[in-house]
Amino acid sequence: MMIELKNVTKEFKVGTHDKITALKNVNIHIKKGEVVLLKGPSGSGKSTILSLIAALNKPTSGEVIVDGKRVSKMADNFTSLFRREHIGFIFQKFNLIPTLSAKENVIVPLIPSNPDQEKLNNRLRELFGQFSIKSKMNVIVKNLSGGEQQRVAIARALINNPRIIIADEPTANLDEKLSLEFIKIMRNLKNSNSSIVIASHDPLFFNLDFIDRQIDIHNGAII
Amino acid sequence: MKNKFNFLLLDFAISSIFRRGSKNIFIFFVFTLLIFLLSSVLFISNSIKSELDTTLNALPDITVQRLQAGRAINIPTSRINKLLAIDGVKAVIPRVWGYYYFANAGVNFSVVGIDKFDDQYKDLYAKLCDKFDFDKLQDKKSMIVGKGVQKILKSNFYNGYFNFIKPDGSLEKLTIAGVFSDDTKLESNDVILLPMEKARDIFGMSKNEAVDFVIKVPNPVEIPNIAKKIRLLYPDCRVITKEDLSISYQNIFDYKSGLFLALFIISAFTFFMIIYDKASGISSDEKKEIGILKAVGWTIDDVLKEKFYEAFVISFISFITALSLAIFYVYFLNAPLLKNIFIGYSSLKPEFDLPFAFDFQTFAIIFFLTVPIYIAATIIPSWKTASLNADEVMR
Repeated sequence: MMIELKNVTKEFKVGTHDKITALKNVNIHIKKGEVVLLKGPSGSGKSTILSLIAALNKPTSGEVIVDGKRVSKMADNFTSLFRREHIGFIFQKFNLIPTLSAKENVIVPLIPSNPDQEKLNNRLRELFGQFSIKSKMNVIVKNLSGGEQQRVAIARALINNPRIIIADEPTANLDEKLSLEFIKIMRNLKNSNSSIVIASHDPLFFNLDFIDRQIDIHNGAII
Repeated sequence: MKNKFNFLLLDFAISSIFRRGSKNIFIFFVFTLLIFLLSSVLFISNSIKSELDTTLNALPDITVQRLQAGRAINIPTSRINKLLAIDGVKAVIPRVWGYYYFANAGVNFSVVGIDKFDDQYKDLYAKLCDKFDFDKLQDKKSMIVGKGVQKILKSNFYNGYFNFIKPDGSLEKLTIAGVFSDDTKLESNDVILLPMEKARDIFGMSKNEAVDFVIKVPNPVEIPNIAKKIRLLYPDCRVITKEDLSISYQNIFDYKSGLFLALFIISAFTFFMIIYDKASGISSDEKKEIGILKAVGWTIDDVLKEKFYEAFVISFISFITALSLAIFYVYFLNAPLLKNIFIGYSSLKPEFDLPFAFDFQTFAIIFFLTVPIYIAATIIPSWKTASLNADEVMR
């Protein structure tokens, strides 16, 4: 099993005394190479599940095991290394560094590991070619269109050849044409043998041929 | 080659500095100013301290002055023999010195008379002069002057000589036989050294008088005892030992540098508050960026390393710039304004240049008082942000 969530509950503090429960006893199992869609309205807990899988946050109770590693118990520095080596995260708002160029944004995850310059350049050319943004390599990302920015974000997520690709509401900031283009990219990525988890309430994703399984989430629980 | 230096990270840090250009330019200027002030003060202090050390080394073992109504008056040379008879005294040297007011320039020169046959003076002043023809003084119509005196005389059209006006109104023309070297500018700058006989003429003193006596005692342990004996022998005399003078000089220097230090600490503290405020006030953009870096796989260590590079590049460039400016300001421009705080504002003293006295310890003090503090002020808030969950920071 590539991803396992066992009886996961996540609560967030609101103010000093109150708290809200984002997830209640959630159990999810995702196999290697499987493409899973998390469906549900805004605020249902989809993004919380993704951030727990990527170890960006820790569950209040329960366990999160990814690729055999108990990420819910890992220390902060190890979760960062784990993300660097295993996870490619495509954020809803892209989360690019606006004042860096497209190329600089894409290599950001690899900077601490000091990669070989030649190999890095080859990988950059490959990714920018794959997503048809070669000409935008040196453009500051804040000057790119929404679709281009998302492709840069996808390239960044894939730069480390991740075994798990996570996309959080990937089409929320795109028009229909660009959304379809993103779906096309995801379809191609299925062949990479990576596990893909997409969280979306966009009907465009429903019943797509390359999605192996859909999980419905409402009010922090799987239906 | 896993251990090779990570130039990509350094490159990222430098690009971060430029990406937040206006904030970093402000920090650079304030920080440079702060280090410049600190360096300038330490350089001036070092120069004066080195002058002071030279002065203290050259101080006489015992100085004897005669007092009347609490004021120093001339002392008869007839007392020399009785002083020489005290056990432990090697030599008693009568000194003739005083101040000569040069009205044209509005300055006082310190006039010192020497006995050409006195070896002690000869050795001492020979060491302190660039070009010195001691024998030329034998014609009794020559003098040795400090650099400041030479400059003032030249600007008043006295090229190579000066006409002293004696108390009876007559003129005494003396030619310049030598100029003191740069090493002791603070003390020799306003000095005119001339034959004792000429000094007596200029001050209107009789041949049997001296301004004070300098007593040479080879064994320093005996100095306090000999001083006591002289006090008993001549109750109308003030006996000053080398140690008394040394304390007095040191006190003046410490008082002035202490005053300045107090002022400096207040201004430095203010600057640090500005720096800290600027450095610690991480903007929401910077916080989000740290969140993104962590989300894509940077560890806290990676973030801190990058912030360290950023802070080091800014503070080290500021440090080098400020240090260069301070060297130029102190040793080339002669520290206008700041120098006066240490040496006083006396308008009668001729100008002098600060001698170059730079040591590695000063360099290290300035470095450790500034660069690491700035780096810490930058890294601590970044560490606080980086320690939070990436998810939380990006929100």
